[in-house]
Amino acid sequence: MRIGDFRETYAQDEALWPTVTQRAWMLALLAALAVLPFFASGYVVGLACILGIHVIAAAGLNIMTGCTGLISLGHAGFMGVGCYTAAWLAQRGVPFYVTIPAAGAMAALLGALVGTPSLRIKGLYLAVATLATQFILVYVFREWDSVTGGVRGVNVPNASLFGFELDDDHRMYYLIAALAVLMLIAGRNLFRTRVGRAFIAIRDKDISAEVLGIDLFRYKLYAFAIGSFYAGVAGALLGYFYRAMTPEYFTLQLSIFYLAAIIVGGLGTMLGAVLGAVFMTLVPEVLRALVSFIAQWAPNATVVLSPVQQIVFGLLIIGFLIYEPHGLRELWQRMRRLFHLWPFRA
Amino acid sequence: MAPGLDLIFLLELAIIGLLAGGLLSLIALGFVLIYKGTGVVNFAMGEFMMLGAYFFYTANVMWGWPVMLALPAALAAVGVAAAVVERSVLRPLAGQPVISILMATIGLASVGHGLVEAVWGGENYEMPQLLPRKPFLIGELLIPGQAVWSFLLAATLIAALTLYFRFSRTGIAMRAAASDPITAVALGIDVRHTQRLTWIFAGLVGAVAGIVAAATTSLSPALGGVALGVLAVIILGGLDSIAGAIVAGLIVGVISSLTAGTLGGKVRDIVPYVAVLAILLIRPYGLFGTRQIERL
Amino acid sequence: MNNDILNNPARRRIVNAGLGSAALSSLPLTSAIAQTGEIVVGAAPPITGVFAFAGVGLHQGLGDYCEWRNQAKKGVAGRRLRYVGEDSAYKMDQAMSVFKKIMSAHNPPVFYGDSTAWAKAAAREVSQLGTTIVSSPSFSSDLADPKNVPYYFMAGPTYAAMGEILLEYINRTSRGTTRPSVALVYSDTEFGRDPIAAIKVKAQALGIPVPLEIVTRPGAVDVSSEVAKMRRVRPDFVIFHGYVLAPIPEFIRQMREAGLSATPMGTIWSMDKTTVDAMGAAGQGWMGVMPYRYSYDVKDAPALREMRDFAAKARPQMSYIPLFYTHGWLVGMIFAEIMERTLKAGKPLTGPNMKVALESIDNWDTGGITGLLASLKGHQIASGRIYQYDATSKLFEPASGWIKTA
Repeated sequence: MRIGDFRETYAQDEALWPTVTQRAWMLALLAALAVLPFFASGYVVGLACILGIHVIAAAGLNIMTGCTGLISLGHAGFMGVGCYTAAWLAQRGVPFYVTIPAAGAMAALLGALVGTPSLRIKGLYLAVATLATQFILVYVFREWDSVTGGVRGVNVPNASLFGFELDDDHRMYYLIAALAVLMLIAGRNLFRTRVGRAFIAIRDKDISAEVLGIDLFRYKLYAFAIGSFYAGVAGALLGYFYRAMTPEYFTLQLSIFYLAAIIVGGLGTMLGAVLGAVFMTLVPEVLRALVSFIAQWAPNATVVLSPVQQIVFGLLIIGFLIYEPHGLRELWQRMRRLFHLWPFRA
Repeated sequence: MAPGLDLIFLLELAIIGLLAGGLLSLIALGFVLIYKGTGVVNFAMGEFMMLGAYFFYTANVMWGWPVMLALPAALAAVGVAAAVVERSVLRPLAGQPVISILMATIGLASVGHGLVEAVWGGENYEMPQLLPRKPFLIGELLIPGQAVWSFLLAATLIAALTLYFRFSRTGIAMRAAASDPITAVALGIDVRHTQRLTWIFAGLVGAVAGIVAAATTSLSPALGGVALGVLAVIILGGLDSIAGAIVAGLIVGVISSLTAGTLGGKVRDIVPYVAVLAILLIRPYGLFGTRQIERL
Repeated sequence: MNNDILNNPARRRIVNAGLGSAALSSLPLTSAIAQTGEIVVGAAPPITGVFAFAGVGLHQGLGDYCEWRNQAKKGVAGRRLRYVGEDSAYKMDQAMSVFKKIMSAHNPPVFYGDSTAWAKAAAREVSQLGTTIVSSPSFSSDLADPKNVPYYFMAGPTYAAMGEILLEYINRTSRGTTRPSVALVYSDTEFGRDPIAAIKVKAQALGIPVPLEIVTRPGAVDVSSEVAKMRRVRPDFVIFHGYVLAPIPEFIRQMREAGLSATPMGTIWSMDKTTVDAMGAAGQGWMGVMPYRYSYDVKDAPALREMRDFAAKARPQMSYIPLFYTHGWLVGMIFAEIMERTLKAGKPLTGPNMKVALESIDNWDTGGITGLLASLKGHQIASGRIYQYDATSKLFEPASGWIKTA
């Protein structure tokens, strides 16, 4: 049982992982991530790569929507922007450590552009504006043949580091995992800074924030830009991972998936983004395994897999909204409190 | 590739678009009803449309009931579904922030879509012919029969609803509860009841729109996507304005048809969304929407 | 407590990178396919999702062929075939996940996917792995490219070739001095847009005017404005591509009501009998190009007869064998042929060896499934026949001989 939580310096108070135990667990987690590919099958490593990509995108959306309150239904579109930017640059021989930040920057620029109306519109109207953006971006992906390859899509050459090619899942895994860890820590750090605190103030009540001297327009643009940066990076990694991408990947359904992930995981925190993305990606896989298992006795069970996935998806969203609005993160915190305060109850 | 752009052709396109806009206005009305009554943008409207169409198909085609029996049965079923949804999902979330309710309706849409696909499968079904198909020939203009009749049906329904809200006791009660719930409660109006009624009405409107839409195109789970296009209409018209929904529906219908006919079908889907962005920059609350004033 | 060294994110990153690069060098790139014992035929067909009605047939056809081959010919070169197919729900993430799962668990020498998008991504993957030959329901022209997409083949002509076959037929059957005009109606997807450029080129070469091109969203759409356009152009033929059913019936119905007597034509995926049955009266006169015989047309087709007999015993509740099943069966046949040729030549089952075997398939008798002898040198089977649908008998009847394209 942890008795008290004594912080003696400002640095300690602000630290991301204040106690030794927390730091030790983080190290253990990083070590586990590092050695995963040795013990896991190709399928699990591939899954881990996709998880990493989804985590990065969800983290970005959580900064934008969870922390700043700007609902975005266009996140998949920004991923697409990042993906196509990286593909275009990579096809011209630019190395990945330039294309990925460039992809993020491009997406951030576009995100800020899309966010300019946020000065005048907010809430639902902003959501619909981002929805319109999503459709328009997909349209551009399909029509701008010279840059995006149109509906045929693009091929992305392998990422290579001084001639060392990242041409299979194991190697991509390290790139994705490293970037994910980096961006999550950066996101967490964001909320120790003035910018992050401004975001939270805007979410809670933006008029009051303005009264307190926060330049609403500037910070909302920052929020859009940062959130879209994450989406762009995730999109670029997606391109490198699949090595070929068509516009049909970046649908409204994907944007909704990320929104669902942050709701289920917990709005406003990096941990929420991670938990939500992992959970929402694994649930369809688990369902598929379950249905394959049942198919031994009822061969026609596989026919309902896709609809059942959709139903479960919707029920999860509604269930979490009604019964656990703070998401999986809240469940996690409660479990931790249970252990910390044992034998007393929370 | 495109035929010569003569005025007659444009006029024909405009008329077809206007008639198609009638259906869009109907769906937009469903959205506006719910927004006015409960402050929610219902992303699951497409699912009400699908349910209406599929219930009707089941009753009429699969079970062989006559149209006069199948239609009310389908509408009643959707009404029940709407009431259930309101009670089980929307009521517990009352007062929650916008994003929660938005996501709740999105979740509902997903559940509805999955249920439809699980029960009826993903194939296309052909709806029985409900509206006369014979085209109308006005001089050089050929107007498809179904377009005319669906417009008339939508117009009748909208007129009936408007009259209902204006003159009937329940309708006035619903409007009162929508504009100021607290005062309405003080005056003895059961606001929970009116909110439920609002959802049922919206569900019925959606169901009728769905049946008509499925009859003009075909019945498949893709029908739910039509409602997304109507978001442009309600933004244009104003989220809480019934007149706006009607006018905007017609405008969007005409613009869609004209662009499809002149610039090609690809652009047709994008134009409403470009229009949405433009409107949001110029008149954020739409043509007829009420300006929201925020106070500290 | 003082700041630990490892409280510093930069340090942590360096440690991570160090661990990572130490690990990277020791990982094997590829793993070998088992050269004895069972041969696994992997697949990720779209059993659920938007293309479920096609995916179920593909899944069953391919799986049943493997069963039949084991029974009738003791597998391939004495090694039994085992079919491992899992649903992809027509979603890219799921299809790739199933692909990786089956690859890492069984390392199959052949794999069948679910879509063009998947095929393009998987083609990149397998060219690097060099172990597997893949196919999918996609007939996209980009994929019939032995040089750039070496390990992919399609069990039929490309969509572009199909369009060319249609135009050839129009050309051959046109009478009189005025050339027949053709309108193109296609969906705004990769599937829909793939053959359009080639079709226009061929039309120009044959002197067939294409006065109208209509692009729509796939699926249920309001087509009144499009039909209004068509009414002004009055084409003789309308080629639909990129749809499975909707909005073709509504299009045809409105065309007829507007007084247009144009002949509607389609490509392979809209030629399934049950799909066209659903069109009702609007389907009368529907024509299209089919690379295979229909499953009821067994007169000169011993392989089709064997397929039918097997399906009748194994799946008695299946009253009609759709073209998707035939396609799956043919894919299985081609997979088996590739592997047999490789093994008979004494070579192990690797990508390059199987590619050689694939391209050696020339003048090959498919037992009547494809009307002509098949050649897979260009990684496609570029032949097909025009069939016409009769709404009273609800059957497709041949309207031309078998046409071969380049």
